[in-house]
Amino acid sequence: MRWIDLLWLPLSSLGQRKMRTCLTTLGVMFGAFVLAASLSIDEGVQQTIERESSKGNISRKVTVMPGRRPVETAVADDVKVSGRMSSDRRARIRKVLVEQARARKSDQEQVNLTQPRLDSLARMPHINQMVPIVGGGVVATLGNRPEEASVSSGAGEDPEFPKRLIAGRAFKSEDERSVLLSEMFAHRIGLIDDSDLDQVLGKPLRIEIRGQEHGPRFNIVLADQARASGKRDEQAALRQLAWQLPGALERFSLTEEETATLKAALRGKSAKKAEPVAVVDDFQVVGIFRDFSDEERKTAWSQFPANTDLVLPRRSAVDLFFRDPAHREQGVNQAILFVDDIKNVKEVVEKVEALGMRSRSIVEFLERERLTYLLIFGGMTCVAGVALLVASLGIANTMLMSVLERRREIGIMKAVGASNWQLQTLFVIEGGLIGLIGGLLGLLLAWSISFPGDAWVRSMVQRDMQIELTGSIFAFPGWIAMTVLFFTVGVTVVAALYPSRLAARVDPVTALRHD
Amino acid sequence: MGSDGDSADGVAIQAAAVGKVYGSKKSQVEALRGVSIEVAEGERVALLGKSGSGKSTLLNLLGGLDRPSSGGLRVDGRDLGQLSGRELARFRSKSVGMIFQSFNLIASRSAVENVTLPMVFTGRPPRERRAAAQATLESVGLGSRLHHRPDQMSGGERQRVAVARALVNRPRIILADEPTGNLDSQTARQVMALILDHVRESGVTLVLVTHDEELAASCTDRVVRLVDGRIADESQRL
Repeated sequence: MRWIDLLWLPLSSLGQRKMRTCLTTLGVMFGAFVLAASLSIDEGVQQTIERESSKGNISRKVTVMPGRRPVETAVADDVKVSGRMSSDRRARIRKVLVEQARARKSDQEQVNLTQPRLDSLARMPHINQMVPIVGGGVVATLGNRPEEASVSSGAGEDPEFPKRLIAGRAFKSEDERSVLLSEMFAHRIGLIDDSDLDQVLGKPLRIEIRGQEHGPRFNIVLADQARASGKRDEQAALRQLAWQLPGALERFSLTEEETATLKAALRGKSAKKAEPVAVVDDFQVVGIFRDFSDEERKTAWSQFPANTDLVLPRRSAVDLFFRDPAHREQGVNQAILFVDDIKNVKEVVEKVEALGMRSRSIVEFLERERLTYLLIFGGMTCVAGVALLVASLGIANTMLMSVLERRREIGIMKAVGASNWQLQTLFVIEGGLIGLIGGLLGLLLAWSISFPGDAWVRSMVQRDMQIELTGSIFAFPGWIAMTVLFFTVGVTVVAALYPSRLAARVDPVTALRHD
Repeated sequence: MGSDGDSADGVAIQAAAVGKVYGSKKSQVEALRGVSIEVAEGERVALLGKSGSGKSTLLNLLGGLDRPSSGGLRVDGRDLGQLSGRELARFRSKSVGMIFQSFNLIASRSAVENVTLPMVFTGRPPRERRAAAQATLESVGLGSRLHHRPDQMSGGERQRVAVARALVNRPRIILADEPTGNLDSQTARQVMALILDHVRESGVTLVLVTHDEELAASCTDRVVRLVDGRIADESQRL
């Protein structure tokens, strides 16, 4: 029997029972659709995560933060239990006292990102670059206008950052004595016109790191109560006045006594002397930068943070901050490690955490999320499996009925020369064809659904996470199609085995008996 | 008996003490009891008898549709008892052509598809078998009904299709089980004439099962009468 006939005869049999074939195929199609969709989403999400996380080297980035590390405490020798008691009782009481003593004593030490620790991080194997991120509050003085300001470093390392410059230039080196001002900070200190921005370039900005309190010790309000709160501009100006007033008392026409009284009053009730300025340094203003645009905000998560008033070059910022004894002890807020290869990220994370510091990396996130995805997609695949199983039961039942209905036809085929194996093969192929057609239709349906499905997920991610995904979250590599068809054809062939054996065992004499 | 398909001795059919029993031990039916018969090549033999005499059972055994419970059966030089299931299927396709009282056509297939069916199972190429089927249908007067289904034909036309199917593989033996039983007398004569013409032209052996004594006497060389599963008598046509 020719191969073409092994295909043609079952196909024509299916075609002669169109409605039954359609209904049977629908069940397989549904199972194939769910299986294809779940495999496609699984593959697509993994590809999307890897694609998105490889942007800006984020997949090789490890963020390190201060942590805590347990320390050995030798308290056992200190605890003695006096009194007359049995040795067992003494041991029990001593054990509880030791535990209490340990709980009271600090058994963990703070692990800060100090200069020596930063150096040791930079020397770790597989580390290409270590970028300390300095951040904090300072007092910035342009001309004679001191202003509280937030400062950070690190943004200068980001290749995307220069796009946000609206005047001046980016840093040329990591240790130059330059500073970039944010557009809003410039506006706050009175640089309103575009020409003001150009004129401030090259001017010196003094940065001071002071003690806890570095603002004015009193408020100035307007006499008109209805306008006491004042507009925003008025508030800023009044604050500047309060700031500068203590240093300008001598210029007023006051007696020495009045000046001394005011100075004492402005120092505060505690009469505590103002904290001396810890660190001060001058930087040249080289540029003005704007905030993120709406488009840039979508990928802001992958870049260095740069939403402070001032940005300093990395080494200059570290030098400035570590000149302050308090900051020398506290260390920086975080450091970014760039690993040479994504394969080594996990090893670096383990080493960082062994040193007592905390870390964050996209690889850890992926590992954590992968388990969630595995559970979800495993569930979906189970649903697909159940759907195919149910479909196979339907196929077995339908084919059994078909064999019973076609007994005479089977008898005729035997009478004209069909052997048992030929008949069995024809029925098995008939079942397999249902699986093949249903599988193909299911794949087509999954592929069609992927377009609106992908658009919906993208809109959700953009709305909730401000991330613009590139590429589809559905993926249809060749192996998915092969897997789906393998399962659908396999399941339907197995379902057809018993009916096909029944067909082969039909007795032609009985089947052809003339009634 | 050998199983090499060689009938050099001129005997097309040789049955030796063939018996057939149906049913379980509790309800056995002995359809044939020690039937022995020889049919020469090209001979036309009628198996005559009432309903239940065993004539259809004997025909089914001769056609390889069933196996005897006892005795030996040699058809077209082949010992049917020695053949495997696959060899028996091939025998049915190539060595014998069977015509049934109820036509036994596949209702969902056209005339030409029904006639090509025996050739499908022997692996003949599609183009060849289509041509052979068309020629055979034309030879039985159904050249204009190639693509009609059985429900679109009369009884006589359906039986002609069945005759064409039996002849298409050029078997050496034709087995006809009451081929005119479902036809009116005129159509019956036409169909019978068709069968006999072919038999005469090609020199094939014919075994005709019938309960019609007149038909048996007029269309065959020998009449074998069966009663209760045994051969009661044989009469040669003069």
